[in-house]
Amino acid sequence: MSSDSQQHCFHCGEPVPEGIHLSVEIDDVEQPMCCPGCQAVASLITGSGLEAFYRLRTIPNVTPAPPTPGNVYLAFDDPDTSASFVTSLPDGWQQAQLLLGGISCAACTWLIEQDLARQPGLRQPNVNLARQTLSVEFDPAVTKTSAVFQRLLTLGYDPHPWQSQKAVELLEAEQRGALRQLAVAGLAMMQVGMFGIALHAGDIQGIAPEYRSLMRWVSLAIATIVVLYSARSFFRNAWINLRHGRLVMDLPVALAIGLAYLASGWATWNNTGEVYFDSIAMFTFFLLLGRFLERQVRRREYLRQTDLQSLLPVSCLKRVQHRWESIATRQIQNGDILLVRAGEVIPADATVNEGTGAVDEAAFTGEQMPRRVHVNDTVSAGTVLSEGRLEVHVQAGPDNSRLSVMLDLLSRASEQKPGLARLADRVAAWFVGILLCVAALVAAFWSQLDAERAFWITLSVLVVSCPCALALATPTALTAASGWLRRRGLLLTGENTLENLNSISHVVFDKTGTLTQGQFRIRATRADDEVGALGLAAALEQNSQHPIAQAFTGVAPTPGVTGAEVIPGAGIRGLYAGKQLAIGTPTLVREIYSELGDAPDQDAHWVALADEDKPLAWFALEDSLRSDAAAVVQSLQARGLQVELLTGDRSSAGLTLATELGLNDVTTGASPEQKLAHIADLQRRGARVTMVGDGLNDAPVLAAADCAIAVNQATDLAKSSADGILLANSLRPITSAFIVAQRCRQIIWQNIAWALAYNSCAVPMAAAGWVPPWAAAIGMSASSLLVVVNSLRLK
Amino acid sequence: MDSLFILIPIALVFSVGAIKLLLWAIDNGQYDDLEKEAWRILMDDQDTSEGRDTD
Repeated sequence: MSSDSQQHCFHCGEPVPEGIHLSVEIDDVEQPMCCPGCQAVASLITGSGLEAFYRLRTIPNVTPAPPTPGNVYLAFDDPDTSASFVTSLPDGWQQAQLLLGGISCAACTWLIEQDLARQPGLRQPNVNLARQTLSVEFDPAVTKTSAVFQRLLTLGYDPHPWQSQKAVELLEAEQRGALRQLAVAGLAMMQVGMFGIALHAGDIQGIAPEYRSLMRWVSLAIATIVVLYSARSFFRNAWINLRHGRLVMDLPVALAIGLAYLASGWATWNNTGEVYFDSIAMFTFFLLLGRFLERQVRRREYLRQTDLQSLLPVSCLKRVQHRWESIATRQIQNGDILLVRAGEVIPADATVNEGTGAVDEAAFTGEQMPRRVHVNDTVSAGTVLSEGRLEVHVQAGPDNSRLSVMLDLLSRASEQKPGLARLADRVAAWFVGILLCVAALVAAFWSQLDAERAFWITLSVLVVSCPCALALATPTALTAASGWLRRRGLLLTGENTLENLNSISHVVFDKTGTLTQGQFRIRATRADDEVGALGLAAALEQNSQHPIAQAFTGVAPTPGVTGAEVIPGAGIRGLYAGKQLAIGTPTLVREIYSELGDAPDQDAHWVALADEDKPLAWFALEDSLRSDAAAVVQSLQARGLQVELLTGDRSSAGLTLATELGLNDVTTGASPEQKLAHIADLQRRGARVTMVGDGLNDAPVLAAADCAIAVNQATDLAKSSADGILLANSLRPITSAFIVAQRCRQIIWQNIAWALAYNSCAVPMAAAGWVPPWAAAIGMSASSLLVVVNSLRLK
Repeated sequence: MDSLFILIPIALVFSVGAIKLLLWAIDNGQYDDLEKEAWRILMDDQDTSEGRDTD
């Protein structure tokens, strides 16, 4: 399938690890799969006859979570738990609102809708791609809430209960309002335009006064609706800003619409002069359309709901008397005893009551090696138990956890984010001020000279100079550039990202998961029988979910290893050919074979393997660098940018990596607070910072940076605080972004220059009285069109 | 030409009807997800051809 030597998973696009031979037949071709999770999902999709999904999708899927035994969603079958997102319908059916993780393109919505519609007891599945939500109706007599969740999980998506958020609701309401205004203006424009043509034709070839009057009155009626309903926002915006002493684009727009309407109304009433109802409607419609399109771009990612619930498991096991009962995470209270098993996310800040385990805190600290925990140690909500089994005593509910402190830090950081005023906005204030002065002068001059024409000439000046082209100059260029970047794998979510990129002086990278893959790989093996040792190691490690075990997933395990026992934070023991066998820390391995020596060196993380009689192997494990990291760093440096490394990892790996990539500025072992302080310090010294990161601990830093980019596998929280998200597993689009930003700025300057040049020619002509308002309206439209076409060159 | 006095009001009634219909569709949430709807037409096509294959 793939052109390079390494195979890529057909489902999620990740490279297939060596030694993995999974495949699924799709459209009569055996396609490679990288893991059992992808294989299961792909088989399910083809098994349901929905192969078309693979032909329709534009972006590879998100790698699904490994299949988990049992149904973790059982808690939602309790009506009290599910009351917030399940509503009863009059006919006895119920409607569930779910938030879905893992939707990558429109084909996903098709797949989900098709699949759910075929399930018994389900109807009307409807996925909202922009909001990433699903609404589905189900018959409680046939199926259950948990079954809907489970089905979505089997399809490879990550369902959560949807909880409405004020900000999102408000945005949705605004969106509908904007669409209503646009719809009314559009339909009205067509009607008024029709009568406008009749009136203009009448001017040329003659028209009976009663018909002219009729059409004027009808046009007046329709234009009234446009002005009062569709153009309302221009008037309000202009007025609000004027009261605060600010001159905005909306002011001349509101003046032009208002004056043209009043004048045309007066002409209709007195049956004299000219009417411009068609210009009013057209002008309003095109302005609204421009704003609507601009709003669409901004809305896309803003809607992604991120809060505590998307980071925590949906349910957990709580001890009630002597049984474990499944409860929703939201119902956790102080003092509850919870059971956490290997591979699960810890749902609340707690102390360990019983058991030992290894907790993966990479999300918080950036440190990759899990921390070993015993009785009385504390564990934090949002971290993953990679090994062991813990009974924990809840110390703080989900709302008071360390995780929510992180979220607070995040919201504070986003408030402090330096705001760069838009170029067009800065130009606009001056422009509007000058324009209004000119219009006033023209009005004063002509009222002395020819009072009858003064009004119409002033109106022409306002219409011809209407900053339509200026208003479109920036948004059209930005939209074209972000579309181009999106097709190359970088989704821009921030409003000003492209403009900000031009002023960036520093690019700061996180290490684990950003510059590196975030996964251990075997770098070196010291063994007499390398193949045999690897097979035994793989056979033991397949019992563990520790990050180290991932390094061995590509190796075929030797059959015959039995009695494997995971010792949390130390390693794994087992039996092979009647002999004890151990892999892991030297301390653990010495319990089996006491004469084990020291690790070959200190540069890597060494894991030992031995049986009762002899040492078998040492494996050096390392987080491998992304293949394109070096190229990207070099090209950024070639553009004159300062590239830095900022990591929470305390080990020497950061320094090694920096030397390898040629980075001079390295900060290791930084907590989220310290990372934030580091960025703030850079900014205080006048630097403009782009941060590239992935983890929970990067989220506040991403929010504080002038421009933030989250990598493909970043946590939702990091993605939501970023201005751009990499869509594929590659860092290259970051370089493209800087190039496009520069070109985009050129285009914006060209557009603005054109708009200003046009106005400086057209305004004097209008002021001289040579331009009738209808010609002014055409000139204004042509000028706007030119700006749009120029912006499209960015593609 | 006198018919204009009847036809134009009728045209207006039609446009008011069209606006009402459109506003209803917007409030009904039919325009909430423009991205998906743009794809839908291609996907439905796929769906029917799949259906025919299995028949």
